[in-house]
Amino acid sequence: MKLRVWWALARGVLLESLRRKDLWVVAILGMIIMAASGALGFFGVDGLQTFAKDLGVTVLGLFSTVIAILTTARLLPDEIRNRTLYPLLARPISRFDLLAGKLMGAILATWLAFVILLALTSVALLMFGVRFEAIMVQYALLKMVGLGVLCAVTLTLSAFMTPSAAATLSFVVAFGSSMIVRGLTMAYETSSPAMQWFFKFINSILPQFGLFDIGPRVANENWAPVPLWVVGGLLAYGVAYAGGMLLLAWSKFRSQAV
Amino acid sequence: MQAIVTEDLHVRYRAKNGQNVHAVQGLSFEVHPGEIVGFLGPNGAGKSSTLKCLMGFVQPSAGSCSVFGLPAGSLEAKRRIGYLPEVALYYPYLTPLETLTLYGELQGLRGSALKRAATDLLEQVGLGQAMNKLNRSLSKGMLQRVGIAQSLLGDPEVLVLDEMTSGLDPIGRKELRELLKARQAQGTTLFFSSHELSEVEMLCDRILLIHQGKLIEERPIQALKDELRQFEITYQGAVSLVDLALEWNELGHNTYRARFSDKHNLLKALDRVQREGRAVVDVVAQEGSLEEFFVETIGRAA
Repeated sequence: MKLRVWWALARGVLLESLRRKDLWVVAILGMIIMAASGALGFFGVDGLQTFAKDLGVTVLGLFSTVIAILTTARLLPDEIRNRTLYPLLARPISRFDLLAGKLMGAILATWLAFVILLALTSVALLMFGVRFEAIMVQYALLKMVGLGVLCAVTLTLSAFMTPSAAATLSFVVAFGSSMIVRGLTMAYETSSPAMQWFFKFINSILPQFGLFDIGPRVANENWAPVPLWVVGGLLAYGVAYAGGMLLLAWSKFRSQAV
Repeated sequence: MQAIVTEDLHVRYRAKNGQNVHAVQGLSFEVHPGEIVGFLGPNGAGKSSTLKCLMGFVQPSAGSCSVFGLPAGSLEAKRRIGYLPEVALYYPYLTPLETLTLYGELQGLRGSALKRAATDLLEQVGLGQAMNKLNRSLSKGMLQRVGIAQSLLGDPEVLVLDEMTSGLDPIGRKELRELLKARQAQGTTLFFSSHELSEVEMLCDRILLIHQGKLIEERPIQALKDELRQFEITYQGAVSLVDLALEWNELGHNTYRARFSDKHNLLKALDRVQREGRAVVDVVAQEGSLEEFFVETIGRAA
């Protein structure tokens, strides 16, 4: 029953996203990647496979992050602004179901965009002479889990603040969390025990997006695939983190006057 | 079991400017099953806050509200209510049929029954030709019809409608009135807020008038109409009706006009005029203005 409710809501988000032509933008971006890589291949620049793969995964990561945040940040605020939240909440569904369905829709729309971009990038890389490696599948899978977590973070932030603030903070978290974690690690050794505890706390609540991005491994040749237990662990961490975010959003939204 | 009950309902919230607003102040009323009740009041009177409480969108600060004895906002209560929000912009990139399918699935409808219900409702509200166009291409009135159709999904026992005629043209209003009357005939209870007093007059069994979050008047519409109705007679010959009439004056040429607030005095006056052997030239019944009643009652309460 719940899954049906979630799927009904998710399908609405996905359909709107497709009709709004968000994915057209993705396709155009992908075409640009293909054209650029194809041009390099046409002029016969040798030994640049690593560079091409690095560029491919960087652009893929960048565009899919932008799509995830922009798709998710406006979901709840748009429902409130257009007053479509009321007929939804008037149905016999809980507010948790509403949030879960919306999140599911945002994740599916983001994944669809990512898969389109990935397909186009793969074609571009093949044109450039890059051969397929098993680690690329792991990259795609982990990236999709990371995007799911990012959608959950953005949805939660949008429950607490305006859509533009939620989008901005999501970008900061998505692109800056690795830097923050690196900074905390560097400062940890020289800090007092109290500060070390504080750094540990910050580190534990920050989403570790860096863990989901094995793009640098993909770009550099001769890297073996990641052990499956690591992939499983990351999957479990991603689901748990996204679930935690959903609960946090629900704790704010469950009794919020709308 | 009453369809809707509110008991000493209070709603307080903090406005965007930081001020505390006491939107609803001890509101108590009942709506009987099968009744059509109009919920009236000036802007900011607390109508929408009350409706939101009934739907569970807002939690009461104190007091309670229930639907068929079930706590307002509970899933069980929501299964029995259809709700129309004030001026909603339904998903611009979905069609009316897809919109109703989405809401229907959330209502628990499935498969061919859902498709049939959605199509039938869209036909009923006059969107048969537009059910597959994107909502963004529809006019405000057509979107309101989408809203009305979605509120009727699942044949709810209670309909809560917030400014239901907003955006509708006169033909649309008439069609809506007929649709709602037909629903009432099937046993549906209607509770709606409106600023359109003519709609209220034509549709309601009873009105509730609130001001500054408090109930200031509750009256069956027929009793109110009877109360507001006035009668006027014009007759020839000097017969004094001062003791019976609201107003009595001479028009000239031995012709007099008298105005009465109730039928009883009118009949007495006619009897007196005829017993005196005078000629009654004209008898007119004037329907009272609900708008004047509204303005006067609000003015008194302010």
